[in-house]
Amino acid sequence: MARPETLKQAVQPSPLHALIAQTQLSPSHLPNLHALALQVQHNLQFQHSWTALRVHTHSPLTNEPLPRPLLAGLPPKRLYVHPDEQIALLKTAERTRKARKRAGDSSDALEIKAAPEREWILPTRLSEKWTLRRLSDVFAGTSLVPPEAEESETVTDRPANPWRSTKRVVLATVSPDSTVVYYIVQDGVVKPRQN
Amino acid sequence: MAPSVETNKATFNAALLPSFTPAPESPAPTEPAEPVPSTNRSSPADHSGIEVAKTTPATSPSVPEPFPISCISNRYFVFDPNTISHLRRNHNICGVLIGTIPNLSSQNVFLGVPLQLLPEEARVLVERGVAFVVDEVEGHKWFLGGQAVSTVDDGKDVVKSIKGNGTRMSREERLKWLEECDRQGRARAHAVLHEKRKNTEKVLKEKGLSHKLEDMTSAATPDLAEDTGGDSLLFDAPPAPTRPEAAKDERMLALHHTTPTTSYPPLPVPTLPVSVLPLPKLTSSIANRYPLFRHLHSQGYFQMPGLRFGCHYTVYPGDPLRFHSHFLATGLGWDEEFDLLDIVGGGRLGTGVKKAYLIGGEDPDAEVQGVGGVGNARAFSIEWAGL
Repeated sequence: MARPETLKQAVQPSPLHALIAQTQLSPSHLPNLHALALQVQHNLQFQHSWTALRVHTHSPLTNEPLPRPLLAGLPPKRLYVHPDEQIALLKTAERTRKARKRAGDSSDALEIKAAPEREWILPTRLSEKWTLRRLSDVFAGTSLVPPEAEESETVTDRPANPWRSTKRVVLATVSPDSTVVYYIVQDGVVKPRQN
Repeated sequence: MAPSVETNKATFNAALLPSFTPAPESPAPTEPAEPVPSTNRSSPADHSGIEVAKTTPATSPSVPEPFPISCISNRYFVFDPNTISHLRRNHNICGVLIGTIPNLSSQNVFLGVPLQLLPEEARVLVERGVAFVVDEVEGHKWFLGGQAVSTVDDGKDVVKSIKGNGTRMSREERLKWLEECDRQGRARAHAVLHEKRKNTEKVLKEKGLSHKLEDMTSAATPDLAEDTGGDSLLFDAPPAPTRPEAAKDERMLALHHTTPTTSYPPLPVPTLPVSVLPLPKLTSSIANRYPLFRHLHSQGYFQMPGLRFGCHYTVYPGDPLRFHSHFLATGLGWDEEFDLLDIVGGGRLGTGVKKAYLIGGEDPDAEVQGVGGVGNARAFSIEWAGL
């Protein structure tokens, strides 16, 4: 029995399914890897309010294909503050607070201003096995800061953060139940944050 | 060096103390060969995260290098307190103190010498040329004048020079030594007894009973005289006019013995061409993690065993007594597969205790860039992103 066109489908495809179905998957990588990137992109965009998300299939440095499609995007607020930068930010905030107080402002709050920075995201599945070599290959293809997305409407000529001197990617691990966890992986021995 | 179970903890602690006292932050421009963190970036971009504790070298006996590391049944030990503090102060090596007191062997809160080294620690010291490994059993036999026993290990570098008759003791010397032990034991027992008597008299005097003691002794002496009255015919001299309990104590005294805690004669510190073992072997489990250990050590980090945090090493930016650790490090082979679940677990545990999880290994393809054969280790720090 043919289904009348006017009826709605019994089961609507999920938004994620629709996104993957709509997107033109890149021919340079396996479809499952590209779909994985789209899944993480969807999660970041709608659950963590990231903006300017974009899938990179080729390295901005060498233009070679990346080991797998990577994402780049802008978080709503700063994702990572290096402890040394944190100290500098606190000092600046303290100075401005004192200056405000002298000017007769009643508010005594310490305002720390750390503008969000674009981040690389490496989508992975929990069932995968990784090696140091593969991780190193991923870092070889990434730049220090992801290139600005073309469609980005945010201000682009912000001076590069002088504290950002090591490469980092956000490791996004997707579990079979579609939970996504995010870990920051830095290239090199970088001291931990003082949470 | 003799494996003498030296339990004199007071001396040991005193020897270590100077390095533990927080030294004033005096700008010492002529710092001894401290491994300088290799930062090829300019500040403020120094993200290597190293604030190596600079301790001003306290006045302590200098330890000549290379110094011996004792190998006993494939474990590596340091027995000399000066060497232990030297290791800690100048070579970022902590090791683990494992020595306990023979008559309180179950207490394991405060442990002393010897210091046990990880095979990685022993190897890194030997590679840097500041130490050599001595087969303790053969060295001991050699020094005590035993026969040359050198089992042919598969290691080709074993120096089989154990022929010397060393400082073997003759029978007379040994008897003399035992006599000396007895003499010391008696002297000690006398001292104890003397103290005991003094205390007794003091207490009795305080209670006003000192005259009773006199009475007791004066009363006891005639008894003794009566008892031995018949014997005085047989023996020339009547018993000495000492108190009988004293005589009894004197007889008891003969039973006291001292147990020497060191070998005799004291063995000299071995110098180089004595039964030197090859580099500590890298068993398969250690081989993969060793490059990361060496890399972090060369950057001036202190490392301790990491079992408590489920990793190979906990990595400290300075002396562990003064700093919290920064990293939970796990060494891996370059092509060794790991589960992402381990990364998630390690990263989350590390972040929970204000540390970063560190994985690293040696890149066999990278061109040699390390200075002094430090190798091409590469490391990745992992922290929870907070999303």
